[in-house]
Order: sequence, then C-alpha cells, then structure tokens
Amino acid sequence: MESSRRESGRRVVVTGLGAVSAAGRGVAPFREALRSGRTAIGPFDRFNNAAQRTHVAGQVPPQPQWPASPGRRVRWSRLSNSDRFALFSACEAAAQAGLSRPLDNRNAGVFFGSSTGGLIETERYFEQLVREPGSRPSRTLLASNLLCTPAETVARHLGVHGPVETVSSACASGGLAIEQALRAVRDSDVDIAFAGGADCLSLTTYSGFNSLRAVDERPCRPFRADRAGISLGEGGAVLILEALEHAQARGAHPLAEILRAASTCDANHMTAPQSEGHWAAVAVERAIADAGLEPDAIGFINTHGTGTPLNDAAECAGMRRVFGARLGRLPIEATKGVVGHLLGAAGAVAAVSAVLGLLDREVHPTPGGGAIDPALDVDLVLGGLRAMPGVRAALSVSMGFGGANAAIVLGRWEES
Amino acid sequence: MLDDAALRSHLKRLIVESLHLEGLTPADIADDAPLFGEGLGLDSVDALELVVALEKEYGMRIQSHEVDKSVFASVASLAEFVARVLATDNRSAPVDGE
Repeated sequence: MESSRRESGRRVVVTGLGAVSAAGRGVAPFREALRSGRTAIGPFDRFNNAAQRTHVAGQVPPQPQWPASPGRRVRWSRLSNSDRFALFSACEAAAQAGLSRPLDNRNAGVFFGSSTGGLIETERYFEQLVREPGSRPSRTLLASNLLCTPAETVARHLGVHGPVETVSSACASGGLAIEQALRAVRDSDVDIAFAGGADCLSLTTYSGFNSLRAVDERPCRPFRADRAGISLGEGGAVLILEALEHAQARGAHPLAEILRAASTCDANHMTAPQSEGHWAAVAVERAIADAGLEPDAIGFINTHGTGTPLNDAAECAGMRRVFGARLGRLPIEATKGVVGHLLGAAGAVAAVSAVLGLLDREVHPTPGGGAIDPALDVDLVLGGLRAMPGVRAALSVSMGFGGANAAIVLGRWEES
Repeated sequence: MLDDAALRSHLKRLIVESLHLEGLTPADIADDAPLFGEGLGLDSVDALELVVALEKEYGMRIQSHEVDKSVFASVASLAEFVARVLATDNRSAPVDGE
C-alpha cells in the first residue's frame, strides 16, 4: 500500500505463516476449513466433559506423531500441548519464510499471546496427586506451567536471541502481541519477529466459561439472531513479521503488509465489553488513521466475533461508529465460527485468516447457521466465499475480557 | 540381586520409558555413553524424573547429595550406584521383566 503514515519507521511485511487448529496441523487444512464454510467445532475428548453444561469444542485432532524437525532435536513428548502448537506453527512459518534453523540471531524476537500456557498438564499433575496422594506425578507436567513457555519453546528450538515476550491480556493477547512485534520491527529493534501465540483446551477454562454461561451448547454462531455464546478452541498461529528491506535483501516473498496496529482498554468491567464498543472503535480509528488510510479503504473486517450476545452487539456498535452506514455492506468474517475461540492465540489465528483473505482476494464464510441478527445489520459472509477482486486492506479486531481491544490494519502485498 | 549386565539393561529401559525418549530403544544406549549434555542430551528436568523413577522402581531413597554428575554420567556409573545403594540397604531389585 502507498503510505502517508504518521510517524516514521520501517515497513513491515509478513513473510511466513504457521497454524495449528481444530482443522489440523498446518495452514493448508486451516485455509481449507476457512474456505469450506464448515465448522471444525464438535464433540471432543481432550478431557472428560460429561459433567459440563456443554460438550463441544474446537480440539486439535489427535496426531500419533509430531514431525522430526531439522535443526535442533525436538522432544515433542516433553512439551505441553500449547508448546507443541507454538513450535509447530513457528517451524511452519519459518520454513515458508525461508529462514534456516536454528536462526542463532540476536536480531529476531518472539512476541506471543497466551492465556493458558501448560494448564492442562498442570491439571493432570494435580489430578493424579489428588487421586493417589504421594504418587509423585511426572515433574515434566509442571515444566510448562508458566504462560511464557510457548514463546520460550520457540526461542529455544529456533535459536531466537532477541526479545522474547509474552502478553497475557485475555482474548486480545494475540492481537496485542502482533502490535508489539510490529513496533519492534518498525523501530529496528529486530529484523524478524515471530508474532502469534498458542493456547490449549483445559478443564479450568472450559468449566470457567461454562460457569459464566458464556458457552454455546452448539458450535458458536457469531452475529446470528439466536447466538448463545462462544465455543472454546485450541491451537496456535505464528506470523513472521519482517522489515521489508530485510525481506527483500534476502529474496523473501512478502505475503501481506502489516500497516499499523493500535490498542485501547474499556477500563469498565471484568468480563463485559463496553456496550457501545466505544474504546474498540477508538483503537480501530487510530490504527486506520496511523496507517494513513480512511475507513473506506478497509475491504473487509476479520472480527473478534465470539458469538456471545454482548460481544457481538458491542463490536458492531463500535464498528458502526467507525464505518457508519457502510458497515451494512462491508463484508465481515468470524474465524471463531470455524475453529472456536483460541483465547490468547485468537488474535493470531484471526490475523492468519486475514492475511489469507488478502492473498486470495476473498472473505471466508462464517459457519453456524441461522439468520443474521437484524439488530446488528452487518454483511456477514455466509454460505460460500465472497470474491474481493479489488481488496487492498483489511482490519482484524480483538476484544478481550477486562476490556482490552486491539486493532490491526493489514495491506495486500502488490509487487510493484 | 540382578547381575551387572541385567541391571544395566534394566536401567536403559527405565530411562527410555520414564523419559519418553522418542525414536530411541534401550539397545541404542551404550553402557559408557554420556547421559547428559552431548551424549543422550538429557537435562536437569530429566534428572529429576530419573531420580523419582529409580526410587519407585527399586524402592530406594536417593539423597540430594548423592545426585551428582559422576553418578549420572552413564548407564555404567548409574548401575554401580544403584547396586551399591541396594547392597547397603540390603534390598533386592525387582526381577527384570514386566
């Protein structure tokens, strides 16, 4: 995109993508699921959910083997689920970006969002201890107890020696991590950033959201009239953010440009979004303005779109403030309808979807069924892909518990 | 009491199984190969797991001051240590075979 942007700094492009989701391991199955309009959310067996109020989730399909990795030896069995999702996504993204491993590079960083870390392994440790007091469960189950272990696992195995940082601001974490990565590359702190996150399904989050009655008994239905809550998911996503000059110098091919990002906080309530989406709108307005664009330049919105009555209404109210009457004919998608809500990694997997949409010049259909809520008056793409031949830019929005909002403006990459 | 060769073979299986060493069989571990660092590549978390596994398997108690690098250097040194502790404790190791 041409730029008349506020502030100076280097242009930042995406040169690699990686993902693990309920659709499977890799960007290819994720992209196929996005394009199909079918949900990957369904019955799951990661833990016994018989006593729960709901019984569906977006579980990463069980895989007998994790791949042998070039470079440093990976002992996958030692890693928590979240660490595996993170490392697989990072290796996939690095391979697409043409980065040799290990990087052994001070000018690379990892910027991740996380809400769970190795929570399910921690649960297993204490479950065994309670069931068999004195049984001394495996210490390895506690090794990934910290929220920072997915990012550190990536750094350790890929030889990333620059800043390695984990953001934990609930469901906006992934978006905020991308914002941090963007700033680090733009300001020349690093040349390459692994931006994204990973989170796992766990009994704690599953029963927690259920006790809030925030989980739909059916796969979630963002923006529908009868929407009844989220569906939890798990997985990871990584975008390689790289200085354009650095990517061009080594012959890497940009997939998209990250134009700008901005964040705000409602400073209002522990869980509920501010009902008018005021501060989410402020973040979006600022990101678009800093990118040197007008709202009309945004071709589609990759929404936060959780499927809860309150979030979808607040998000639409905020977007209406930014886009006015055009919101009713501005195509939107909700990644959570396909793979569920990845919590701290949600903003990352959503950003991958937005990059794919810009690459393929299309907006993905959002599964879920049922009519769009007439009160929201949005152009949610349903049924099949929406071709976007002239699309130049997209917006990805994250809105988390505690009122954290993140907005990312992405541009389609055109070779000039 | 297991003889020396049987004890080493028993320990190799314990290492592979308790530490979930993918793609490795007990036969791949040489008696004198370093367990940590360059050799098998084990680390301090593995050492903690291994101490617990040894205590469970052989009904022995390993004191913190006994867990030094020379003991955990190789299967051979580990076998020597286990045999010594078991002899001191006057306990028998379980029969090899599950």
